Amino acid sequence: MKATMSVFWLAVVCTFLFPLYWMLSMSFKNKGEAYDNPFGIPQSWDVLNFSEALSKYHFFVYFKNSLIYTSGTIVLTLMAGSMLAYCLSRMSWKLNGTALIYISLGLIVPIEVVVIPLFQLIKGLHLKESYLGLILPYTGFSLASCVLMLYAFLRTLPKELEEASCIDGTNVYQMFFRIIFPIVLPALVTQSVLVFMRIWNEFPLAFIIASKDQFRPLTVGLLGFFVNVGVSDWGLIAASMLLSSLPTIIVYLIGNEKIEQALTAGAILK
Amino acid sequence: MNKYYSTRMSIFVFAAPALLLFTVFCVYPLLPQIWMSLHEHDGFRNLGFVGLDNYKDAFANSSFWTAHRNTYLIVGISVVLGLPLSMILALIMDTQTPNLRRFFKSAAMFPAILSVTVVAQIWVAFYEPNWGLFNGILKSVGLESWTRSWLTDQRTVMPSLGLTFLWQYIGLNAMLFYTGIKTIPKQYYEAALIDGANFAQVSTRITIPLLQYVIHYVVILSVLGSMAFYSHVRVMTSGGPGDLSRTVVYQMYYTAFETSQFGKGTAIAVLFVLECLLISIFIQRFVAREKLEY
Amino acid sequence: MEKASKVFGMTILSGMVLLASACGSNNEAQSSETTPSQAATQESKPANSEKKVKLRVITITTDENRNKIMENYIKPGIAEALPNIEVEFEPGGGGEDMANKLKTFNASDDMPDVFWNDAGYFTPLKNTGSIMDLTSAITEDGFIDNYAVPDALKHIDGKIYSLSSGADTYFTPVIFYHKDLFEQAGAQVPRTFDELIEAAKKLKSSGVVPAVTPGKDGWGPKLYLLQQMIQIGDPQAMMDLIANKTDFDNPSVRAGVSRIEQLAKEGVFPEGIANLDYGPSNEMFTSKKAAMYWMFTWELPNLASDDSVDFFPFPSASDKYDPNQFVQFWGSPLNGYAVSAKTKHPEEAIKLAEYLAMADARFFESTGAPIALKTGNATSEPGPLMKKFVDWYNPIPTKIASLALNSLDARTSAELSTQGARLLTGQYAADTFAEEMNKIWKENTWFTQ
Repeated sequence: MKATMSVFWLAVVCTFLFPLYWMLSMSFKNKGEAYDNPFGIPQSWDVLNFSEALSKYHFFVYFKNSLIYTSGTIVLTLMAGSMLAYCLSRMSWKLNGTALIYISLGLIVPIEVVVIPLFQLIKGLHLKESYLGLILPYTGFSLASCVLMLYAFLRTLPKELEEASCIDGTNVYQMFFRIIFPIVLPALVTQSVLVFMRIWNEFPLAFIIASKDQFRPLTVGLLGFFVNVGVSDWGLIAASMLLSSLPTIIVYLIGNEKIEQALTAGAILK
Repeated sequence: MNKYYSTRMSIFVFAAPALLLFTVFCVYPLLPQIWMSLHEHDGFRNLGFVGLDNYKDAFANSSFWTAHRNTYLIVGISVVLGLPLSMILALIMDTQTPNLRRFFKSAAMFPAILSVTVVAQIWVAFYEPNWGLFNGILKSVGLESWTRSWLTDQRTVMPSLGLTFLWQYIGLNAMLFYTGIKTIPKQYYEAALIDGANFAQVSTRITIPLLQYVIHYVVILSVLGSMAFYSHVRVMTSGGPGDLSRTVVYQMYYTAFETSQFGKGTAIAVLFVLECLLISIFIQRFVAREKLEY
Repeated sequence: MEKASKVFGMTILSGMVLLASACGSNNEAQSSETTPSQAATQESKPANSEKKVKLRVITITTDENRNKIMENYIKPGIAEALPNIEVEFEPGGGGEDMANKLKTFNASDDMPDVFWNDAGYFTPLKNTGSIMDLTSAITEDGFIDNYAVPDALKHIDGKIYSLSSGADTYFTPVIFYHKDLFEQAGAQVPRTFDELIEAAKKLKSSGVVPAVTPGKDGWGPKLYLLQQMIQIGDPQAMMDLIANKTDFDNPSVRAGVSRIEQLAKEGVFPEGIANLDYGPSNEMFTSKKAAMYWMFTWELPNLASDDSVDFFPFPSASDKYDPNQFVQFWGSPLNGYAVSAKTKHPEEAIKLAEYLAMADARFFESTGAPIALKTGNATSEPGPLMKKFVDWYNPIPTKIASLALNSLDARTSAELSTQGARLLTGQYAADTFAEEMNKIWKENTWFTQ
């Protein structure tokens, strides 16, 4: 029983990891071998695909863009989101309930659906030629889940926290950043991971808004590259895919325990 | 203390940035959407008010219904197939040794961290009819007659796309379930073990009922996620062959951007938002709604 | 949980109210949106004559000729020919990708200064005033005098929108084939449609793919296959369709559609043809996995380097058609380098478009292909395959324009792609295709513009 279970287990794991192997082996194959031996181990280890990918495919540009979009969104979402969550959970504002309902609307509206008006809005605001053109809408769409999660988290905290600093006479901003912020940090980490997963892979909006090559994130740039290569040189395609995935894979290998904790904390906190 | 910190000024400073961003970029775009859906619009010029014509046209268009069938097929696949499979993986994972479990966890999450474009392109190679993986396997085990062109055969194109989607997120969902399982106090199991219940009994009688809250969360996540299924289609088939693998979101893009009928495209978008709202309400009311205290 | 459902109820209510209340007020916001933005861009960047002018160009990048032109004819001489212009070349892809890209750029008011124009996306560009009428500019600077037949540059509205080498009018779809693969399979060059099917069967049983062509997004069906299959049975019906004198109810048109269905069902094309891109289909032919390559003659110079490659015209399906009497030609006055009407540097952009058209001409001239734009160079001797082509093509009395370039508005074009790709799956009845296309055809605005 134990043995069959382990075999089954190994099979499942292989299914999940097979594409990684495929990308890796394909990226060392030349054009001919890619078609003749698409799934085996490469017969000759040819690094030509990588050098060609690096010269033809603007990997560093796209990577930098993805990084800017994702980190920009994370910073803005966490700042604005945690402040609103704090306001809603701890401050006496008569519109607290309404605001909470209002913001939860954001959980339902899929970003894909408002692409057309959003696109015209960004154009009208002259943000199309800037990183903010994607960061701001991404933030708008990430806020709902961030606020709701932090709201739930903050409500469980004892009031004494603020009372102590209230007596010290610190103002509300100092108090928020010195006392509340460190306490909600674990929840913020969770949120950043969630936002990262969403934004790093976001495609539909970026496809339309970041139409200029120099502003494209990896997802869109990679597709553009496939189109230009004409999807016949699989070795080159695999090399470019591997290059694009490498940063995420490395981050994941280093911090996967943390990422798992963060991701799954989301499920429980809600 | 509440009074001390809750000045008008501080409430404004704390609430305004998020509410403003949310309103401008998430809620506001819905409005021109509705306005545009009542006009003939080519993305640049407003060609006049047409009332509900765009909606009528949407309903009369067979691609609109194909897109709906496909979208709900994907929703169905991820709920009926995906969630139970994720749950089974999570339940089995719970019985494994810590080392195996750690290894498995890393592998399971792996597809979800890859870019959609990468995943989709890899699967294009797997489905490739002439040298692709699936046909290769079928040929090597003597099932030549089962081989087909997975992404252009009208019977297999949607299930094939669904499988890719399933593969990418099944591990992530399993992880979410598993973390839920970890929070269940051990004493619930002890009684059952004394009664001599087996794995299946323990799972269905104790674990799953106690996971209601997590299940609810994952159901919402996967239903709304698969409603908006689009990127895989864009990369793998461009909605083809013909319109056979278009989803609602794809049909919306196609109508607006490819045929330059933004009015009709936004009409589809408005209908789609309404669908998402209704489905959210439905899940909220009827699916796994009881929070069980333990 | 009770509370949560209330929250959702309220959310929806408040959402509805918000949505309903604001749609009325949105009217003026939309219509006034474009003017200030245009004013702003003009103000922010004053014309700067001392500095190098920066221009953005988008052209096709999926076809090998285009890449050769770029590397060997455009880039090397550009700094010398246009010293005050700095050009940023942006890859456009090809086919539907290119069309979508330009349509999106247009809708977002982000048009490149110079771009490759095509009938598939011309209409939306013209409707929004994004494409410049070049008539006066090229008449004044005398560029128009380089053309053998200047009138051929004019669109049906009498204006000139694009500059090309004129090589386009010599492009026609033919069937390229590997002589050795035909020999191995014992297949003959077919002269009738039935013989074509026979040859394909022989090739298939000898273990090669009989024929490839790009099928993704209905590329082949839209650009030539539908047209060829109609005209090999009844050229007059094809000409009527392009002139909007008939529709998809015409029995000859329907017969053409069912020929495509037959080709798909008989396995003439490889599995997955409906998702096969331009590059991979070319690859399948050049690597000899496929015996025939149904493609336009713009690939002829590249394919001619392989001695085993020859070509034959599409075989006849009735007495009404003879490949020496009727042929489809690709050219359209719309195909070529166009200038955005919104460019900030119209003068420089026009010069650049002229330079690019000339680069095209020099390239096609070097392949021995006939062109309409005089380069001033002595013509080189064409290779044997090119010579064979010119000798066949030039004397043909009736040249039929391409359906794809001369009768489809953007929507009809997109829908024909959709329907054409389905036809290639072999799982779509020709009659259904004809019915669906007829509905779309009735709403085609091409002839009413």
